Amino acid sequence: MNRAMRNPLMYTLFLIPTFIGIILFFIYPVINATFFSFTDWNGIAKTYNFTGFANYMKAMGQKEFWISVRNNGFFILFSVFIQVPLIILFSLLIANVKKLKGLYKTAVFMPSVMSTAVIGILWGFIYEPDIGLFNNVLGLFGIDKVYWLSDRSWAMLSILITNAWQWTGFYIVMVLAAIISIPKELDEAAMIDGATGFQRAMRITMPLIMPIVSVVIMLSIAGAMKAADIIIVMTKGGPAGSTEVMATYMLKHSITSFKYGYGNSIAVLIFIFTLIITALYQVLVVRRTERIEY
Amino acid sequence: MRKSLIMMLSLIFVASALLAGCGKGDNSPGTSNTGSSGGNTSQGTKVEPFELKMRHIEIGEPNKNRLARLEAVKKKIEEQVPGLTIKLDGVDSEVNRKDKLRSEMAAGNPPDIFDAFGSPDIGVYAKEGLVLDIGPILDELNLRERFINLDPWTYDGKIYGLPKGGSIEGYFYNKEYFAAKGLEIPKSLAELEAIAEKVKADGKVPFAIGSKDAWVPLMTTNNLWAYYAGPDFTAGFKTGESKWNDPKMVEAVSKHQEWVKKGYFKKGELGIDYNSQRNQLLTDEAVMMYDGSWASSVFNDAVGADGKSKFGFFVMPPLNEGDGLSSMVDSNNGYAFSAKVADDPQKLEAVKTFIKTFFSDEIQLQSLSEDGLLPSMILSEEDLQANANNELIKEIILGMNELEYKWPAFDALVQAEVNTELGSGIHRVIEGVQDPKDMLDALQKVQDEANAAGE
Repeated sequence: MNRAMRNPLMYTLFLIPTFIGIILFFIYPVINATFFSFTDWNGIAKTYNFTGFANYMKAMGQKEFWISVRNNGFFILFSVFIQVPLIILFSLLIANVKKLKGLYKTAVFMPSVMSTAVIGILWGFIYEPDIGLFNNVLGLFGIDKVYWLSDRSWAMLSILITNAWQWTGFYIVMVLAAIISIPKELDEAAMIDGATGFQRAMRITMPLIMPIVSVVIMLSIAGAMKAADIIIVMTKGGPAGSTEVMATYMLKHSITSFKYGYGNSIAVLIFIFTLIITALYQVLVVRRTERIEY
Repeated sequence: MRKSLIMMLSLIFVASALLAGCGKGDNSPGTSNTGSSGGNTSQGTKVEPFELKMRHIEIGEPNKNRLARLEAVKKKIEEQVPGLTIKLDGVDSEVNRKDKLRSEMAAGNPPDIFDAFGSPDIGVYAKEGLVLDIGPILDELNLRERFINLDPWTYDGKIYGLPKGGSIEGYFYNKEYFAAKGLEIPKSLAELEAIAEKVKADGKVPFAIGSKDAWVPLMTTNNLWAYYAGPDFTAGFKTGESKWNDPKMVEAVSKHQEWVKKGYFKKGELGIDYNSQRNQLLTDEAVMMYDGSWASSVFNDAVGADGKSKFGFFVMPPLNEGDGLSSMVDSNNGYAFSAKVADDPQKLEAVKTFIKTFFSDEIQLQSLSEDGLLPSMILSEEDLQANANNELIKEIILGMNELEYKWPAFDALVQAEVNTELGSGIHRVIEGVQDPKDMLDALQKVQDEANAAGE
């Protein structure tokens, strides 16, 4: 076995299946999409014309496209500034709970294993203007009906809340695992030194879980950039395009309108934007984060 | 050495299994073994089982009768064609038409039999050779002349699909409410608006609506512009003879927006789906609902205190009384077939049997009596009368007979991207964030681009 593992050919052979997978499912689609983004291909014709950067220029000039970019921005901001702090808060609370920890973990994790279609329908009932939970509760305080999914002012926020509800539990479990892996001695030493629960959370636990929080933020950003299913199920990009994101905008134009060339240019733009945002996050935040060893 | 040899062999085995999995499936006759009802022919020769995938849109409670008919047809065909198993795949109509089928066509792999819309969809697919020319089958079965109108299914002189039924659009209305309030069927648009005002003043919603999918409110807009701009106006968009931003079109769309602003539709309509609009009428929240005759089955069981149908039907009235009724009448939804079927004699035989069984007098009359689906085939007057067995269906047929102007739905006459832009535009108009003139100006630009591209 040791001799086999010293053979470079063996390593190459081990790499081949993965390499084939990456080429087939990542590199080829990216090259293919980039190629067709410079054409006017309708998706089913055997012929197409090269149109240079026309598709990109068209996208840049469309107000609807920029609305969808803005909405992806809202997804990212909501994830980073609202969802992530909540994830950390709930993780700390659950980590320190004495009883029924398993129940809490299961309860928060449950939404992330449910299908988006089910979640969309479930929250559709909650947001229902006439009989929905939210409006019924608001009604108790004399507040007028809110048209959560059909009012431009509320629709995007409603989707962001639903999306956060779906994925928060998944990230909580990740952060919880990081908290649990922190050696108990650190916490106990701080306790003996007289640190309060809040001080221990902020000074001991938080710095030690920052690497995993970083990963959570990265995953949230990537998830925000490719969000589509929850929007399709809940609003189909409406009302009046106010909840359209780049992925739904791409689907609408590539498949529904037989404009695959244009749709591919949007796909490439999503790829580029995601690359830029994650690279910026890596450079500005992750690499500056202190490495922790214990 | 031996271990490394075993490892290498294992690796080669895994790699070859992976590559074999990526290989193209061979569905040629004689090798297919995906079916489960294989059997012997009457001559005793062994027949290989085979499977036919059929995409349909008969899902949910409102389509239960349609699904039952389809399943009965499936059973009959499986009995008639040795070795055949039909796998039904139910998908939401809008998802099938605008997303799933188009992706499958792009991949060159549509289901063997699929629910489709004739114009313009079939033409786009036929141009690329993705759908089966069924002309020879129709000739063999003597069916070519049996259909009322196959224009939406014809491309370059060849027929690529068949309509399940015909339809007309108009208002379903609560007859009990109309009688109680002394309301009459309106003879002009002004009378319709007067009724809407009275209904609104009574605390009810005049027009049930669910505009989450843009085609739903666009049915109303389409009828309005057919009155304002003319019944043949829509056909001119593709040829450049008509312009979306024509003053008459602006008037029509403005009328729709005016109705929204006056509160004739349920508030928050852009968040309400199509099925919910029927509930608004069924639960007496709303009094009228503009929809296609295909919706009539939902109201079949609704009977008033007098034991008669609680709901009636009338066509949208003209601008001025006596101008002549005008409505969408078409047969644009039906079944088409993958071109690949032609390469497989077993599948071709199954498709032929499907056409013979499904497009028959029996199914057409059942569709009429159970669902109020108007026939797409020529049937005898006696059969029609005998099967139009409730008041609502009779009123729908009467409405169709009274029409002076009939026209196909807008989505059968414009290019896909124009349809997409129109859908986004009507949502903006309903939401009140864009005025009709600006929306139609933007739409005309998309129309010009599509026309210039020769689509």
